[in-house]
Amino acid sequence: MKNYFYGMILTVGLICAAVVQGKQEPASPPPLGLPPVPIPEDNPQSAEKVALGDRLFNDQRFSSTGDVSCATCHAADKVLTDSPLTVSQGIRKLAGTRNAPSVVNSVYAEKLFWDGRSPSLEDQALHPFVNPVEMGLKDHQPILDIVRSDPEYAKAFKSAFGKSGGEITMTEVTRAIAAFERTKVTANSPFDRWYYGGEEESLSAVQKRGFEIFVNQGRCLSCHVIEQTQALLTDNRFHNIGAGINAIRDEVPGLAGEFLKAEATASEVDVKVLTDKRTSELGRFAVTRGFDDLGAFKTPTLRNVALTAPYMHDGSLATLRDVVVHYNNGGVTKEGDPVNDFLSGGIRPLGLTDGQIDDLVAFMEALTSPEHASLADAASKK
Amino acid sequence: MSTSRLTRRGFLKAAGALAAAGCLPVSTVELAFADRSKSFTFAHISDAHIQQIRGTKFVRNWDRGLIRAVAETNLLAPKPDFVVFGGDLAQLGKKSELDHGAEMLSKLSYKVYCVMGEHDYYLDLGEYWSKLFGPHYYSWDHKDVHFVVLNSVLTYDEWTHERWPTQEQRMLEMAGLDNPNGSQFMVGEKQRAWLREDLGKVKKGTPIVVFSHSPIQKIYKGWNFWTEDAEEVQALLRPFEDVTVIYGHVHQVQYNQIGKISFHAVMATAWPWPYPQSYALAKSHLPRLTVPMNRADPFFERDATGWQLIDMKNGRTAMRYNLYNNTNRAVAFNPKTGRPEDTKFQEPTAGLPPQVHY
Amino acid sequence: MYRKIAGTTFVALTLAVIVGLVPVRGDEFSEKDVKRWQEEYMSVVKTGRELWVSADLGTNGVACAQCHPNAANTHPETYPKFQQQLGRVVALRDMINWCLQHPLEGKPLALDDPRMVAIEAYVASERQGVQLAPGKH
Repeated sequence: MKNYFYGMILTVGLICAAVVQGKQEPASPPPLGLPPVPIPEDNPQSAEKVALGDRLFNDQRFSSTGDVSCATCHAADKVLTDSPLTVSQGIRKLAGTRNAPSVVNSVYAEKLFWDGRSPSLEDQALHPFVNPVEMGLKDHQPILDIVRSDPEYAKAFKSAFGKSGGEITMTEVTRAIAAFERTKVTANSPFDRWYYGGEEESLSAVQKRGFEIFVNQGRCLSCHVIEQTQALLTDNRFHNIGAGINAIRDEVPGLAGEFLKAEATASEVDVKVLTDKRTSELGRFAVTRGFDDLGAFKTPTLRNVALTAPYMHDGSLATLRDVVVHYNNGGVTKEGDPVNDFLSGGIRPLGLTDGQIDDLVAFMEALTSPEHASLADAASKK
Repeated sequence: MSTSRLTRRGFLKAAGALAAAGCLPVSTVELAFADRSKSFTFAHISDAHIQQIRGTKFVRNWDRGLIRAVAETNLLAPKPDFVVFGGDLAQLGKKSELDHGAEMLSKLSYKVYCVMGEHDYYLDLGEYWSKLFGPHYYSWDHKDVHFVVLNSVLTYDEWTHERWPTQEQRMLEMAGLDNPNGSQFMVGEKQRAWLREDLGKVKKGTPIVVFSHSPIQKIYKGWNFWTEDAEEVQALLRPFEDVTVIYGHVHQVQYNQIGKISFHAVMATAWPWPYPQSYALAKSHLPRLTVPMNRADPFFERDATGWQLIDMKNGRTAMRYNLYNNTNRAVAFNPKTGRPEDTKFQEPTAGLPPQVHY
Repeated sequence: MYRKIAGTTFVALTLAVIVGLVPVRGDEFSEKDVKRWQEEYMSVVKTGRELWVSADLGTNGVACAQCHPNAANTHPETYPKFQQQLGRVVALRDMINWCLQHPLEGKPLALDDPRMVAIEAYVASERQGVQLAPGKH
């Protein structure tokens, strides 16, 4: 924990140095295995913004019951998720329909949420505040009231944005949160040190076999991308892999029809998909109404995946082994079940043996960054 | 973003998305001369190539393509008036393949009109096909449009009846697209005579739509993107003002205008084919108008495959390609230029990099 | 007298070699050699073509020629290149093996398998004359 904190300070310090020198990007290279962190031009990093964002991220007052913050579902000691919950719980422990994705490395995502309905980290931060099963606010006014009147916030917004009182809007609030999130970048896992660092001993023989399966017979690579000099372990695209949609197979025409006829605003989609489980299974279709997106969800990164159980947008697969078995079956959890009609063209039965499945799981355990590895130790002692 | 509630339209505008033409079926491609009273839609699914491996095992990739096209067509709202299947239901014309394909097509909740493809025909010369789907060529009228289905994959009598010792051999020889032992497609004299008589009964000014498997053009002989008597068939269609020929076989986006006839190719649900210009050793005549589809990533088995929704308005067509992992495409007749055009990518400056074929 | 005969023979042989009447081992080859070697090459191209249309390379009866008639759309002139499906820079035969495993649902060939060479020979022969463009996507 301490090392993580100091590491963050160092990163922030280096970012400050870069900003002082007039550069938009941090001068320090990203951790081994990742490309440079993309920073938008209209929200450059600064130590003040990051510190402010940290405070906002953890502030439980921004909820109708006063006890839910971003950190409730994205906890610092859980790789910024709420593992082991299957779906997240907001105010009054109200359950949503989706599993909380990790904020770690979310800076590399091109769209946010499992269905990609948000185009940026800044925009994403707006939504949970006003969702009835997350923070439950009617609108953002209570947040603005607090940040405009609280003297600590007044100082922080002044130094981060040069704004005070009524000048502070949700733009500043979300920019600070996003800036904080953009510092949550970890890699340098055993896989990275082996593949990019040339350290032969970093992976065991079992894990190396698992890597071969990942690239070849397992058919993982095309969506969980590993490239020549860096690995995001996601393609930032949306695919129907047969998780969840099978539960509504017969209802798809009716549900899809409803959406095709309705004119939904983005906020309504937000509320509907997190409160109505059946609609939630339509995935990105509820956002784009394109047939290609029926039951399609975003490819999450596999970095630190061993620590963020359970898996899939609905948390329906408890372990990594369950996940691999689902893929091995060609997109159904129980072998022999019929696949759904809208299954991605990349999904098909894999023919992996039990041993190969174990190897693949072992490989995925090598994707954990050292910052989070202490958590893995604690988990394995349970 | 200073507003806390983001409307969908605002979001899409910000994202720069041309939502209208891309999404099915909420929006319709607005044609400049839209007189909605005369418009209707129909769907077109083609080139399923259901391929038997052995027994009840079929190539899963092609099966999934047809299954998906059928499932999505069934979701259309408002419903299309009918569906056309454009040919090559089977890969080697076998009863098992035609039966398996017919079973998948039977899930469509609309009337289906079928077109013969060479992979259906050359095993038993369409005998089992007729039992399943009826005549090989025919016509019907629908909402003041005259529709014709031709069997345009016939070839010379000697090749068909005398050259090959077994019907299986004959089917195999025609099945290889690049097989030099193949033989040119044609409509043939008998059908042209029938077509002349059929069109003779059609009132002048009636829009005509011809469904064919081969292109009724001469595009590339080596792969039978070719109809030997294309000029004669086009001549029969010449007296009409609004004619559209919709053809399969090529497994790719193509479109063209010859005189008053618009030509539209449909995608395969099974797999895409390269554009003829990507074969370095041969000359081809791909219609210059055509803005090609994107190259496929073969990992995603549905990439560069798809099905079509066709709008008929005032006798002219707008074809919307429902593609996977790709931006959907729409090719519509432009009355100002008198030819079909891609509604988004016709201008060279609007192209996406992967659309380069070499 | 014998020395004279030996000397003359030596000179005659040398002249004969220089003039080309006597074949010598070295880096010379004749038109006949070239023709024969070309036929050797074409026999492998022919094998490659047979494999290209064969339903037996994979396990599902699909042949390379079904998606790549005349080996079109294989772009041999662009290798080695970054191959998206493999996540790294590879040679043509690595992509051939990818196709054998994925669309054809089969097993990869050993990189020194004569069948692999035959397939590459056929692919290249259908693409002859096209300029090298390594790395082109």
